Amino acid sequence: MIDFMEILPGRQRLKRVYLTLILWFFGRAIQAAARVDHGVKSEFAAMPGHYTFCLGAFPNGPFMVVGKDAQGRVRYLGSSTANRTIHLHLMFKSINLLFVTLTLQESTSTANARDRLFVSGDVPQACAVVRVMDLIQVLLLPKFLAKLAVKRYPDWSLKRRTLVRAMVYIRAVAGH
Amino acid sequence: MEMPEYFEFCGRVNLVAGHDALEQIPGLLLSMGAKNLMIITDQGVSRAGLVEILVQSLDSRITVRTIQDEVPPDSDIDIVHTLARRYRKNTCDAIISLGGGSVMDTAKGMNILVSEGADNLRAFTGAGVLKHRLKPLIAVPTTAGTGSEVTQVAVIADPDHGRKLFFTSHFLIPDAAVIDPRMTLTLPPHITAATAMDALSHAVEASICLAENPLSTALAHDAIDLIRCHLPRVVNHPDDPAGRLALATAAALAGMAFSNSMVGMVHTLGHAVGSVCHVPHGACMAVLLPHGMTYNYHRTQTQLADLLLPLAGEEIFARTAPRDRAQKAIDQVRQINQGLHLATAGAHAVRLKDITDKNRQILVPLHRLPEIAGTALGDGSIFYNPEDLEYDDCLMVLEAAFHGEPLDRSSIRKG
Ligand SMILES: [Fe+2]
Repeated sequence: MIDFMEILPGRQRLKRVYLTLILWFFGRAIQAAARVDHGVKSEFAAMPGHYTFCLGAFPNGPFMVVGKDAQGRVRYLGSSTANRTIHLHLMFKSINLLFVTLTLQESTSTANARDRLFVSGDVPQACAVVRVMDLIQVLLLPKFLAKLAVKRYPDWSLKRRTLVRAMVYIRAVAGH
Repeated sequence: MEMPEYFEFCGRVNLVAGHDALEQIPGLLLSMGAKNLMIITDQGVSRAGLVEILVQSLDSRITVRTIQDEVPPDSDIDIVHTLARRYRKNTCDAIISLGGGSVMDTAKGMNILVSEGADNLRAFTGAGVLKHRLKPLIAVPTTAGTGSEVTQVAVIADPDHGRKLFFTSHFLIPDAAVIDPRMTLTLPPHITAATAMDALSHAVEASICLAENPLSTALAHDAIDLIRCHLPRVVNHPDDPAGRLALATAAALAGMAFSNSMVGMVHTLGHAVGSVCHVPHGACMAVLLPHGMTYNYHRTQTQLADLLLPLAGEEIFARTAPRDRAQKAIDQVRQINQGLHLATAGAHAVRLKDITDKNRQILVPLHRLPEIAGTALGDGSIFYNPEDLEYDDCLMVLEAAFHGEPLDRSSIRKG
């Protein structure tokens, strides 16, 4: 008997829609947090000026492109990698592997340990971007969910847990 | 042993080990259709007369086209580019790398260029960039530590851009690792001790860090067992060929283990101490290993407890209550360090503040610890460590290692 793998184009399309939405919001949240959260701010401060990185799924996306310009402003640059110099790629080996991580079935560090993504670019910057992603997840998600994403849930001040978090949300939604 | 839900392991290694292993090289080369040799090494190895021993072990079927012995202690991209030009000029078709980690990495880097017909190594950084087999490369280690003779990684400095280039590919694993005790027989006791502790730290980290898997752990445990049985004797009797063979084999086994399951904070901090203060890698590893084990204790108790058997032997393992085994494993590593400290008349340091250079100058001053902690945050191995590490955590561990005080487990922030 031959088992055929069932192909579900509908479900794949749904995954893509979900991931596109999540990455869009994630990108805007990074831009917002780089203005209002001191942790994210200092990670970007240590990066070189004119630095662009991309997180996404190999080979056809979806992608999230974020850049720091020469003036040090951090911006979400959209979902397209076309016509851009990208200094750092954090690329999951497939859209399914990106989905597993962005639905918190696998933490970022577990995904890394299982070799789910490849990184091309300088290692110190890659480390900084992974830390930014952890911070954003803690900022955006309730504790019980964020705990699935990060190794150690941080012990933050009340202000950071409430005010800063609210500001990141408002700015991400509004796109500032 | 716990089974991970998913893991990857590549065991593509041809290990040729024994008291006359060098004599097998001509056969290995011919089986790969190669006979025009470039030997890559460094001045220290050359001065120790090891190149002559190697060349004498070859026979008339092999032509040594050129011997290059200018690899610096920290391999950089310039020497890789220079060697690639000389390889082509001398129409070589195979490479022997004879040395420690820096020589191995240089040879791997050069092999990328000569195999791909390229001029700029920077184009090949990252993982999985290489798509083809490279030229025949035989690695002959002259230290028993780095394990680079069996790993799929090369790290090469790019001083013009102030960065380190990383290369990862199964194709970088040398075609054969030839382990012959004649190559490590003349290592002085304190270097033997430090490099063995590097191998030990590879084995320990491979079995407790996030990419641990049953294959890596099995290799790691065997490596530790060999080190426990042979290291004390070899430090006291450096000219013991059987012990030297065992230690070099242990280093290769530990190399295979960590090439697949990676290393964690002992290397994160050790690389940073090395790059800020120019301390030999093995010396950092020896000092930091027990601290790294303690820091991760609450997350890796099972794995640490399992390590007690190879670290201490059956008798102590059986005598120790299961709940005490993890801590006992850490104590055992401290005891090994202490034994090496005594056997080398203090040359083997057990605290960061005791690490000195040839002129007895302190290499790691207290005021540089913050800079080291900052540098550590940029080392990729940090993500394989079981517990998270932020700046303050790095500094806390470095301070404990500096003063030689065990970490207080209650002060470690737990996730
Ligand atoms: Fe090492």
